[in-house]
Amino acid sequence: MNVKQTTVRERRLGITYSSPMGIWLTVFFMVPLLIIIAYSFLTKGLYGGVEFPITFDAYLQMANPNFMRVLLRTVWVTTLATALTIALALPCGYAMARSKHQTLWLGMVIVPFWTNSLIRIYAWIAILSSEGFLNEMLKTLGFIKESLPLIYNQGAVTAVLIYMYIPFAILPLFTTIDKFDFGLLEAARDLGATKPQAIFKVLMPNIRSGIITSVIFTFIPIFGAYTVPLLVGGKDSYMIGNIIVDQVTKTRNWPLASAFSLIITLISTLGVLWMMTSTARERARIKQQPLKDREDTLGPSHNGLTSAGRVS
Amino acid sequence: MKGFDVTVKDVSRAYGSFKALDDVSIEIHKGEFFSLLGPSGCGKTTLLRIIAGFDSPDVGTVLLDGKDILPLPPDRRQVNTVFQNYALFPHLSVYENVAFPLRLKKIQPTKLDTKVREYLHLVQLDAHIDKKPSMLSGGQKQRVAIARALINEPNVLLLDEPLSALDAKLRQNLLVELDHLHDQIGITFIYVTHDQSEALSVSDRIAVMNQGKVLQVGTPYEIYESPATDFVARFIGETNLFPATVLSCNPYKEEYIVSLDIPELGTSIMVTDYDPLQVGQKVSFTIRPEKIKITTDEPRRVGKDINLFSGIVEEPIYSGFQSKYYVSLSNGTVLKIIQQHNNYMDDGPDIAWKDNVFVSWSAEDGYIVEVVDS
Amino acid sequence: MTTDVEKPPQRNGNHIKHKLIPSKLVSPPSGPQGPYRLPKNQHFRDHRRFGFSNIMLVLVILFLFAPLFVVITYSFNAAKGMRWTGLSLEWYKKLFFDSNELWRAFGNSIMIAFSSALVATMLGSLAAIGIKWYRFKARAYIQIASFLPMVLPEVIIGISMLIFFSAIKVQLGMFTIFAAHTTFNIPFVFLLVSARLDEFDFSIIEAARDLGATERQALFKVVIPSIMPGIVTSMLMSVTMSLEDFVITFFVSGPGSTTLPLYVYSMIRYGVSPVINSLSLVLILGIMILALTLRRFLKTIAASS
Repeated sequence: MNVKQTTVRERRLGITYSSPMGIWLTVFFMVPLLIIIAYSFLTKGLYGGVEFPITFDAYLQMANPNFMRVLLRTVWVTTLATALTIALALPCGYAMARSKHQTLWLGMVIVPFWTNSLIRIYAWIAILSSEGFLNEMLKTLGFIKESLPLIYNQGAVTAVLIYMYIPFAILPLFTTIDKFDFGLLEAARDLGATKPQAIFKVLMPNIRSGIITSVIFTFIPIFGAYTVPLLVGGKDSYMIGNIIVDQVTKTRNWPLASAFSLIITLISTLGVLWMMTSTARERARIKQQPLKDREDTLGPSHNGLTSAGRVS
Repeated sequence: MKGFDVTVKDVSRAYGSFKALDDVSIEIHKGEFFSLLGPSGCGKTTLLRIIAGFDSPDVGTVLLDGKDILPLPPDRRQVNTVFQNYALFPHLSVYENVAFPLRLKKIQPTKLDTKVREYLHLVQLDAHIDKKPSMLSGGQKQRVAIARALINEPNVLLLDEPLSALDAKLRQNLLVELDHLHDQIGITFIYVTHDQSEALSVSDRIAVMNQGKVLQVGTPYEIYESPATDFVARFIGETNLFPATVLSCNPYKEEYIVSLDIPELGTSIMVTDYDPLQVGQKVSFTIRPEKIKITTDEPRRVGKDINLFSGIVEEPIYSGFQSKYYVSLSNGTVLKIIQQHNNYMDDGPDIAWKDNVFVSWSAEDGYIVEVVDS
Repeated sequence: MTTDVEKPPQRNGNHIKHKLIPSKLVSPPSGPQGPYRLPKNQHFRDHRRFGFSNIMLVLVILFLFAPLFVVITYSFNAAKGMRWTGLSLEWYKKLFFDSNELWRAFGNSIMIAFSSALVATMLGSLAAIGIKWYRFKARAYIQIASFLPMVLPEVIIGISMLIFFSAIKVQLGMFTIFAAHTTFNIPFVFLLVSARLDEFDFSIIEAARDLGATERQALFKVVIPSIMPGIVTSMLMSVTMSLEDFVITFFVSGPGSTTLPLYVYSMIRYGVSPVINSLSLVLILGIMILALTLRRFLKTIAASS
């Protein structure tokens, strides 16, 4: 939109239109966030709630080896699941972008993504549990006699997390790859690159922003995952989201829960900032004003290609 | 002569029911500047892509220096391409774009640097080495694309409408540069274009294509002066073209004097031809606008090889070095006539709108196109 | 290839006749055995139909659908477990006629979904217009406040709202769920409507003003109608997200405000009943119908404008 001169009246209208949403988000989002920040520096009340004085206790409590173990596990699982998700999503996004039936494939990715998340988690429970589809199947076919422990472990959590968030990774990758000029791959092949070389040296660097976006879109929700580890994980696959909820609902240690939440918020915000700056940089790269063609006309009397010396 | 010759033999390529290439055969000689010329959709780009390795024919073979290259992927053909939209890698600087092929070959850094700088100097981009492609103008981008395609020292350079995205003035300059570059490095150039003036001005030979078929291969002079089909006549340059029927064909010296009945001109005309024609044969008659004389006074008839008509100027278009006239004859047919302004004193714009004029041409300036496109 | 270029004969002194024999080209003679045919698989082709990426795409789509298919199939199983015993509509009967609590939860979900979607759409759209149309100081703040809820993990939003509501001593229940859902819906409405406004040519407003429309008339007669598809999309998207949300609802719900996802959760947690299987199919079909109507609806709007 063109930047117009702003009059006082117009500014007032802008505020009139925007303030209902602004007030709503302030009350129901920004204030709660500020409360969390404040609570993280307070002391746990005797029967839940918080009390003065202001301390750093909550942050010190986080150093507890139990919590550290969960935190490390969360980082590890999140990193692994994100990496696998992206590795699966990249060829999908590429195939979709090159396909003639883009809408069909998009629909195929979106329908499971729109299905209730609990139903999808439940489907995995129905498949993996000891009397589940897979175990019953294997027993019927005579491969096993006793049920295999397929669920309530780290592997199940990772697999289901990938399942839940892979559409989040495919969609931004697809959009970015769809904008990519596939002619560049041909150019690379023409210049001597093999197909993998063309993919890694030309495609990948040019879809950086899409990769970063899908990393963020999967990393952040997986990092804060709560339902999946709760329902398909065992005691040894708890993640930081579960710790926070336990601190709120069971132990009622609100300062500690707040401190954890703050850490996650910080990590998420930094990630998003990284994503935004990288996309902004990419957009800036495209927008840079090229020179006018006339400026590089060398004139007929001395032409650029030939006045230089010998070749090869 | 450096470079390889390229032989395209019986090549066909269909996309569904659309025949992009229909039994095309062309031989391109070593070191030649060869143009594939035709309207969009004529198959010229498909042919180029087949030579480069981005597409493969359903039938036929492509030989490079006598060897079949069809089974080879593009990276193993000694052919490089300058793409229509430049296809510069946006994430790499000018320097890295040109260095790309050498980096793939893992050339030793100092050698690589020398060579990249040499080629960037060749295309006069020394001052823009560290810029990203998005900061370059169209002409500069094209130079980078050329340097990048040449640094592998290919034996054949394919150019896919390399100048189409540039404005007219710059196009002229780059065209001359390309021609010089070709003279300098001497490899085979295959140049795809839809612009007949580009093709005429730089090519050693041209193949005119339409609807997946090669209609004519020849030097620019041959193509312009003796088009093989109506399509070629109409596509190359401007022309006046009429369907005609042979009335008589009599030998005269080493050629034949042919009398043609042209309904659109309302009369019969005389034209000379080298081949004997059958009386009653359907042909096309073409006369280039610049070969027709336009005068206000009736010219003296010299012999019977002058065809003379009178008409009214419907539209005079003055464009400095020449004037173009649309002259409508008494029966309504409009002829295009171009008059060059060679001399300030003689060529004043003395012919004006609605003037009665005489138009005439010599029998030997007209041309009979025997192959009539359906 | 040879072209027969004949030197034009000279006549009339130095008048050269520029006439040549047409060089109708003449393809190089093909061999006696006719056109050379290369077996297709020997040609090089870069994009194979069964290339790596296409295979991966099909596998991932299978991975996405397989669990749903298993659940749907077993919704027609006569037995309770995952051992197939025979075809039956038992669980559908149970779902439709013997699940009062489930349908009460569904009713709550619908109420919250539509009310929160309506409020979120109104607030979000109006703000998007205000932000795009006018410049004022609080713009940056509003943009950040509308962006953050989208990127924070749901647990964080749920926890912060729970703590907030208990801090100001609001009873958890339908209202708190409504407030929470409206909060997480607003950013999406704002984003979608803003995107729609990006394509909107604001000179149209100047034209409307020029033709005598007041600011308000320009808003209601020009701006809102032209971004209607964006508004409708975001409203339907809000309904879907609200119907689907579990985590945030889990924290801000109180007694008597069970929504459908919460009910499903309790079914999963405390005794799985095959009714879930039949419910899955109903929900998946519901989503697909919603998506298809949405598409058709958008097409109609696009056609009429």
